[in-house]
Amino acid sequence: MKERSDTLRTACKDFEEDLVLYYYGDDSEAERSRVESHLLSCASCHAFLDDLRKLLPQMVKPNELPQSFWDNYHREMVEKLACQEERKYWWRNLLVPMRAWMLPAFGTAVVAALAIGLVIGKGGWHFSLSQPREKIPQEILADTNQLEFFESLDMLESLSKLEALDGTKAEMLNSRG
Amino acid sequence: MNQTAQQDLRDEEIVALCQQGRGEVFEVLVRKYMEKAFRIAFDFTHDTEEAKDLSQEAFLRAFSRIKQFDGRSSFYTWFYRLVVNICLDHTRRKGRVIWERLDRETEGSTERAELADGSSLPDEEAIAGEAKRRADQTLEAMPNKQRTAFLLRNHQGLSIPDIAKVMKTTEGTVRVYLHRAVAALRQSLVEFV
Repeated sequence: MKERSDTLRTACKDFEEDLVLYYYGDDSEAERSRVESHLLSCASCHAFLDDLRKLLPQMVKPNELPQSFWDNYHREMVEKLACQEERKYWWRNLLVPMRAWMLPAFGTAVVAALAIGLVIGKGGWHFSLSQPREKIPQEILADTNQLEFFESLDMLESLSKLEALDGTKAEMLNSRG
Repeated sequence: MNQTAQQDLRDEEIVALCQQGRGEVFEVLVRKYMEKAFRIAFDFTHDTEEAKDLSQEAFLRAFSRIKQFDGRSSFYTWFYRLVVNICLDHTRRKGRVIWERLDRETEGSTERAELADGSSLPDEEAIAGEAKRRADQTLEAMPNKQRTAFLLRNHQGLSIPDIAKVMKTTEGTVRVYLHRAVAALRQSLVEFV
């Protein structure tokens, strides 16, 4: 690589982007032929493309790492993935100490405990439903008695109205008679 | 399934197996993409250990999110996006520290070489070193999107449509980024051509 002291020659503004794509081979057939025909007549664009051809491949650093690096990399990666998987299923570790015969026994015990819990729970409901009436607070009972009293008053009032109606009916019959 | 059969699987088939709970086959993707992932990370960090950590982090993230991969893009563009995002986050966090360290390493290596030879470096090597330093410096100073587009095209050989998918932008925008990056590099390095 030699140091060059000459000033920067710029490519034609309309072609600079196309020249970059041309260098990488990312342009269409039409764009390519347009650039190629322009390059025949333009020294600045030609110099620009030459610079890209010299500079850009040098920027890619060669792979200098030994195979042992990649072997270690891969081994570490597999270990890290296994660790991550382990963390994801941490609850499985709780079951690890259990032997094969323990699992059905553990399951049966859980089902039995649930059944007992349900039976006791159900009994509790019965107990709460069959509470004796005596347990109803006195204030509420007093209110109930009052309600019955008022209902009987209403009935008496209705009776007197009926009697009054009967009286008026009898008077009407007498007057007609 | 034996190892040879696993190696023959396409990326999409491996991903499907992982999604069904066969996590052990993910190792095939690691083997296939570890060098590329490391290279991208190294282009961003210029440090072997950091590049290794970042690229491995990208694999772990890909593995943990494998169920979210919906197959709308290819696995490698999806994975490249993860690597690039992790690297960009890292460079944002570290800021200028990377460049300062690069300076120190360059100075240190020059001193070591001088001590070993008992003389100064030959002119050509010194110029090559300076050109490399200038190129790295120019890349470092570039906006992240320009640098990413350039590294993916020039160093990784990705096509413009693939870079657009990785960067979640249009092909036209990638062309503009690439052009600006190349123009900036040429301008800073023209004296070394």
